[in-house]
Amino acid sequence: MTIRPTSFAFAALAGLALLGACGSGDAPAAPVDAETAALPLSNGMTAAETIDARQTHLKAVGKAFKTISDGLKESEPDMAALQAAAASVPAETAGMADWFPEGSGPASGVKTDALPVIWEARADFDSKMADFKAAAATLDTAAQGGDIAAITEAFKATGATCKACHQTYRADD
Amino acid sequence: MPAPNARVLVWDWTVRLFHWLLVLGVGAMWWTAEQGVMDWHRRIGLALLGLIVYRLVWGLIGPGTARFTRMLARPGAIMAYVRDLAARRHRPHFGHNPLGSLSVFAMLLALVTQVSTGLFAVDVDGLESGPLASKVSFETGRLLAEIHETSFKVLLALIALHVVAIAAYLFLFKDNLVRPMITGHRPQTDVAPPQPPLRAPWPRILAAAAIAAATVYAVLAIGG
Repeated sequence: MTIRPTSFAFAALAGLALLGACGSGDAPAAPVDAETAALPLSNGMTAAETIDARQTHLKAVGKAFKTISDGLKESEPDMAALQAAAASVPAETAGMADWFPEGSGPASGVKTDALPVIWEARADFDSKMADFKAAAATLDTAAQGGDIAAITEAFKATGATCKACHQTYRADD
Repeated sequence: MPAPNARVLVWDWTVRLFHWLLVLGVGAMWWTAEQGVMDWHRRIGLALLGLIVYRLVWGLIGPGTARFTRMLARPGAIMAYVRDLAARRHRPHFGHNPLGSLSVFAMLLALVTQVSTGLFAVDVDGLESGPLASKVSFETGRLLAEIHETSFKVLLALIALHVVAIAAYLFLFKDNLVRPMITGHRPQTDVAPPQPPLRAPWPRILAAAAIAAATVYAVLAIGG
């Protein structure tokens, strides 16, 4: 029993090496029923395409938020970069209402953190997406105005709408 | 000839303080992460950074039982120690025993991984990030956050192993290793051959503390 520290250390190193190798890819987790997965959903795309597209958009939003968050930590932020990031969020999320059609949950067999409860509480989910879009628009306006205090406040408000939705509708949060 | 109840110092007070602050700190980091109280997660994380830097410097300039060079046991010595344990032969050690040293190195490595990845980690939404995250890309920050999460599991496993080992020494070998980590002392009769007295001189304590504080200050200054 007591000799195990070494094996744990090796496990740790092996784990780190693996992480480094595979990154945060979104490969299909469960075996996908090829026929079901290939069927177009109400947005005209397959479940795999839908999930891939929304993850790409949301990652771009995460990246933009990091740019804004980094900027707000600086005493003299790069305002042009901050404004571009804030403007990219409404652009990236313009089609958000169509990102979660019926059939694009985990039951599709494609790996996704979207929880099935989205389609059980659709009205609430839609209203939370609307909250986010309104907050993101306010953030964009504040950023273009260039007032740091206003941007900070709008950024916090936008982040709160992300969390409000993710808390209920996204796994692992 | 020492008195029968004579005691000898095996852990200096800074090592003991480090140990118990670490217990509190790691617990607090776990709780704040689970609850999403990220402003406190960052503050306590910075305090842990200072604590760990102190311990690393103390491993170089501290007294005998804190020194890393004294903790490096040859594989042969480790194997001999394991054979003794397996045969239920246990003799108290002055400081870390060969297996305990391995455990300490593994835990320190995991802790160093935790604090250094945490400095740059970014959450998936780009909303929360470590104090130095602005120096890396979103993708790098995400990768470091994934490592941060995985290495915490490794750290937890190492801590569990450590606690089980301490319990095993207590119940199987009737050797209480918790008391010396609190009082610093063991009975003189546990220590053979006699060791030179352990000293933790103030100039060295202050030097190690200054390096730790400077590291935290540097992170704050760079991170803004």
